[in-house]
Amino acid sequence: MSNSVVSVISRFLEEYTTTTPNKLKVVDAYLLYILLTGAMQFLYCLLVGTFPFNSFLSGFIACVGSFILAVCLRIQINPQNKGDFLSISPERAFADFLFAHTVLHLVVMNFIG
Amino acid sequence: MILTMKHALRPSGGLANFGCVSAELFGVLLLSLALAGAQALTPSHHLSLSDVGRLQNLLNQPYDDLESAYYSVVGLTKLGAAVPDPAEVCQFLKSQLDPGSVDSLFFAAETSKAISGCEIPVSNETRDILLAAVSEDSSMSQIHRAVGALSSLGLPLASQEVVGALTARINKEDNVMAIISALQAASRLSQQAELGGILEEIEDLTARLDDLGGVYLQFEEGLEATGLFVAAAYSLSDHVDMEPPLKEDQVIQLVNSIFSKKSWDSLSEAFSVASAAAALSNNRFHVPVVVSAQGPATVSHNQPTLQLLVTDVMSQPLASASVLVESAYALASKSTVLNQAPFTHNNGVFELNFMSSKPASGYYQFTIGVTGDSRLVANHIELKVKVSTEVAVTNMDLSVVDKDQSIGTKTTRVQYPSKAKSSFTADSHQNFAMSFQLVDVNNEQELTPHQTFVRLHNQKTGQEVVFVAEPDSKNLYKFELDTAERKSEFDSMSGTYSLYLMVGDATLENPILWNVADVILKFAEEEAPVAVQPKTLYVPKPEIQHLFREPEKKPPTVVSNTFTALVLSPLLLLLILWFKLGANISNFSFSPSTILFHLGHAAMLGLMYVYWTNLNMFQTLKYLAIIGGITFLAGNRMLAQKAVKRIAAEQSSRLAKYRSLR
Repeated sequence: MSNSVVSVISRFLEEYTTTTPNKLKVVDAYLLYILLTGAMQFLYCLLVGTFPFNSFLSGFIACVGSFILAVCLRIQINPQNKGDFLSISPERAFADFLFAHTVLHLVVMNFIG
Repeated sequence: MILTMKHALRPSGGLANFGCVSAELFGVLLLSLALAGAQALTPSHHLSLSDVGRLQNLLNQPYDDLESAYYSVVGLTKLGAAVPDPAEVCQFLKSQLDPGSVDSLFFAAETSKAISGCEIPVSNETRDILLAAVSEDSSMSQIHRAVGALSSLGLPLASQEVVGALTARINKEDNVMAIISALQAASRLSQQAELGGILEEIEDLTARLDDLGGVYLQFEEGLEATGLFVAAAYSLSDHVDMEPPLKEDQVIQLVNSIFSKKSWDSLSEAFSVASAAAALSNNRFHVPVVVSAQGPATVSHNQPTLQLLVTDVMSQPLASASVLVESAYALASKSTVLNQAPFTHNNGVFELNFMSSKPASGYYQFTIGVTGDSRLVANHIELKVKVSTEVAVTNMDLSVVDKDQSIGTKTTRVQYPSKAKSSFTADSHQNFAMSFQLVDVNNEQELTPHQTFVRLHNQKTGQEVVFVAEPDSKNLYKFELDTAERKSEFDSMSGTYSLYLMVGDATLENPILWNVADVILKFAEEEAPVAVQPKTLYVPKPEIQHLFREPEKKPPTVVSNTFTALVLSPLLLLLILWFKLGANISNFSFSPSTILFHLGHAAMLGLMYVYWTNLNMFQTLKYLAIIGGITFLAGNRMLAQKAVKRIAAEQSSRLAKYRSLR
């Protein structure tokens, strides 16, 4: 059982490093960073407590929101998905990403207290 | 009750116009009202002698113009008081008179008529001015004053013309004061004139009065209008000898309104009250009667006569009145005590020796009637009379009874007001018993007063306990103290208690507080408190300290710092990964839109920080709109350029691929 899992993972990693364009790898690194930040915040909340609760929520929502927006960006700039996003150029996707982030930051800053 | 009904059914001037059937119906209505228990109204306010004195003082003040002189002098004569120094008044009138003014002539003429021996000189011009004022073009007040002046100066006037002017004027001036002036003017005219139309105005004005709670009846224009209305209405009714259409209850309500105010704001108000008082005490039709007891309405063995004052509204005694008790019954037993007993007139006061009919003590309801004059109004009144007496305590027996009745009781008799010689001892096996009787000193009947208390007072600690002694069916009072049962009320404090008997009632003239004996109580001291604490109700309580809201517990700084570092560490990882991937900014083109875009973006992030520290949402949105707008335009430009470059690169690579394939 574990044998097959290990082989699947190694195969996946191999394919990933060879076939994924560099641009997408940059975005993936960003995604990993966001994930780890959110995980750290959640760990703190579990261990130490929820005081102050609004700050924890705003930080956590920032991470979750950024992750989602970055995933959307990645989907939209992936050349393999070009057929699904004919009207949205990569530049347009990036502009949307920036705008959505502005709104997210506004909300997060309001809530951080 | 029957007398009230007969009195009410007497046909008045207004009723005589209806037919017999209507009178019968009216009678039936009154019968039902009487049966329903409606009482005839009696005056609740009138002018007492001190009120009349105060009114006279107000009217007697020095004056400096003709109008004040008029109110003062004529008001005083209406109250029956003497005008001080009439010669000086006459001089004042003559000096202040303005022969060209109708008002001035009116005041001077009326005042001069009130004091004897004062003649105001009249010229033809004066007469012409006054006659010219009597027309339907002058105001009602002018017509009234002209008529008054002409009448007081003894000048001839054409009554029918005046009536015509008044009638025409009433149509134009409909307010209350104008119509009152019309009534006053009409009462100065000849009796042969057609005054019927103006007489009807009394009824119209009566309808305009406001009824307040069934007790007061007054014009919304105020007290002065009401007072002047009463004076004018009775003066005109007397002049034409026709009863005014005012019902008895309305007359009493008017009395209540006019005499309820005991201090008057202005001379004209005082004058109107004086006029109304004079009109109501001396007219041909309605004279309200004021009946009140002199002192408290109480009779007793020492004071057996009930004394009543029967006066008119100005506290003047009625000349020919006879007062009679129509019926009197005891409130407790409802048995009639008196029937048709007359009062005797003695020096201005009406007296009745009530004690001669030997009433038992208590309260009695008297219905008193005043007769002798057909004009009397509200001449049946209800009066509550108290008969008080003295009480004596007899057969006071004290004893200590053993609970199991094994040892015989020893009864000690004590005479009021002495104290028992020996003290009584009672412990938890014994009961202390007391019995006595309360009798009326005068007629040897047993009494049951409201308050019969037994008070035990601890001499050492000051504690006192009060019990109620109850009478049995034979009116013998008994009190029993069960030492064991009552120990909680005594807080189980053994010791010597003084025993007092307290007897009191509203109808007793001699309330009793009698130290009967000393009682030594012994309680089984199971839970004896050391000393009796007086109730600490009124001692200052301990101060309450305010507790501020405690801040929540924060985790130690070490933990916070550690986790801050942990949260920031993925950023390091990100930079390392990007470096490894070969992400670079070598494609950075230094075009103005790119620089502007990056600056704008940095500014937006900076604005977020400033928002967190300083600003509120509205300010942030304002700045964000400005910076965002610039960033958007610059970014749009930059991305468009990038897109162009990308498409060009793609096209050239595609072209190269196509060429290499060939």
